[in-house]
Amino acid sequence: MSQAPQFDTNTIKIEQLYKSYDTPKKGEVHYIIKDVNLTIRGGEFFVLLGPSGCGKSTLLNMIAGFVSKTSGRLKVGSSEVDKPGQDRAVVFQQADSSLFSWLNVRQNVEFGLKMKKVPKAEREKVSDRYISMVGLSGHENKYPRELSGGMKQRVQLARVLANDAAILLMDEPFGALDAMTRKTMQKELSNIWRETNKTVIFVTHDIHEALLLGQRIGVMSKGPSSQITDIYDVPLSYPRDFTSVEFNDVYKKIQSHFDE
Amino acid sequence: MKILKQKWVTLPILWVVILAIWQFAAIIYGPEVIAGPIDTMKGAAELLEDGSLLTYIGISFYRVFVGWVLGSLIAIPIGLVVGKVKVIRVFVEPVLNFVRFIPPIAFITLFLVWFGIGEQSKIALITYATLFIVIINTLTGVLAVEEDKIRAAKSMGASEWQILVHVIIPASMPYIFTGVRLAMGTSFMAIVGAEMIAANEGIGYLIWNSRLFFRTDWIFVGLISLGLMGFITDRVVEWFGRKVLYRYGVIGSKAN
Ligand SMILES: Nc1ncnc2c1ncn2[C@@H]1O[C@H](COP(=O)(O)OP(=O)(O)OP(=O)(O)O)[C@@H](O)[C@H]1O
Ligand SMILES: [Mg+2]
Repeated sequence: MSQAPQFDTNTIKIEQLYKSYDTPKKGEVHYIIKDVNLTIRGGEFFVLLGPSGCGKSTLLNMIAGFVSKTSGRLKVGSSEVDKPGQDRAVVFQQADSSLFSWLNVRQNVEFGLKMKKVPKAEREKVSDRYISMVGLSGHENKYPRELSGGMKQRVQLARVLANDAAILLMDEPFGALDAMTRKTMQKELSNIWRETNKTVIFVTHDIHEALLLGQRIGVMSKGPSSQITDIYDVPLSYPRDFTSVEFNDVYKKIQSHFDE
Repeated sequence: MKILKQKWVTLPILWVVILAIWQFAAIIYGPEVIAGPIDTMKGAAELLEDGSLLTYIGISFYRVFVGWVLGSLIAIPIGLVVGKVKVIRVFVEPVLNFVRFIPPIAFITLFLVWFGIGEQSKIALITYATLFIVIINTLTGVLAVEEDKIRAAKSMGASEWQILVHVIIPASMPYIFTGVRLAMGTSFMAIVGAEMIAANEGIGYLIWNSRLFFRTDWIFVGLISLGLMGFITDRVVEWFGRKVLYRYGVIGSKAN
């Protein structure tokens, strides 16, 4: 048992994964994603990087269990993914469509615990902890409509952290934020990841963001029939200094990948 | 002319103008055709004195209220189920889209046959008038719930039932509320029609029956009572939405 730690419950193993949105009928099948092979270790921060429309969200949604695969294997831990599960939490790109607008910050964060019928006192303890971790203390009673875009993404983050999933799936969560807020959020996410030991799969089309956050960066080719063509190890320590020479070296390497 | 923008100035002016036109028209056409404001007030005083006006208002209102509440209570669960379960929706939607074009009034005679001349037929009619508007609005609300919300809830371990109760119902609350509020309007229309044809009490009865006595002033009293009843109930419903359902994104509006 213990001799195979790489197969612990939050390892993600993807083999020969294909996805097509076409309805199965005679004729050609157009694959969005074709023959994706990928193993993500527990506790790893993995970035999926690729041009718009290549199928990053599709792949992430398959891992989340929102979208069914066409063929291949997709395992989390030892079980095949076929539906959403509490082991995989999702931070959506649009906070407005994913937060519960009729619940305040605290109630949003406590949602998962409430579904599990965790007693109120305990829920409060957990929500206090994560609301403060994402820097929203003092805003507990505000409703989503009363928050800025950055604050809303913090609520999403606290909400999934409170639910204590081992894996965080994030689909361009900072894409809609202004540059300054985005920078702060990236730094904080990186800190939170190191503090909590979550496995993170983070989707972006921003090389800079990928390099600030990821231990490994999987580069997807242009769709259709997109594949993960290369995986870059980022040998830089955290917190990352984007002004450093090493940072720029890796940046150039990945950039040149897209220039081809 | 800034003073004309103040409500307490414009409103009295508006009313004086309306009353003047009304009185003027009454003088031109005579009280048998148009009862003026003063005649109408006298008529109202008469009806108030023998207690019939308040009784009629009470009865009409009771019928509307019971039928409306009943209709909403039946319609909301139906709308939720039809919206949530696609298999059912495929069958039910065409039926809904057919039946909703049959105005409630058209059912009066049939309901009289089915439920008799008493209260039941009127309440059934109001229930019917409420039913389709509320079903369709609820259904629309359910279909408008963002997929991300449902996905988020699923990922946090919510069961189908919990998703219905904690996500779909609150998220469609503004639509449900709009349906219920609109239904109140159609209910008033339907009850007057029903009371004109088959009742011996109620505001519709008053309006219909006054014709026999050539009491145009009573007809006016009936019309004004209807306007007031509708206005006041709508205010109350709107207030309820604004105060109680505010966090669900129900916004009050004075316009209908
Ligand atoms: N539900 C769907 N039905 C049919 N086609 C879809 C569906 N969802 C996505 N696609 C198609 O799959 C392809 C990949 O879409 P996807 O959203 O995964 O791209 P993406 O890499 O996330 O892009 P972006 O960076 O713009 O978010 C696109 O061509 C898109 O049109
Ligand atoms: Mg996407």
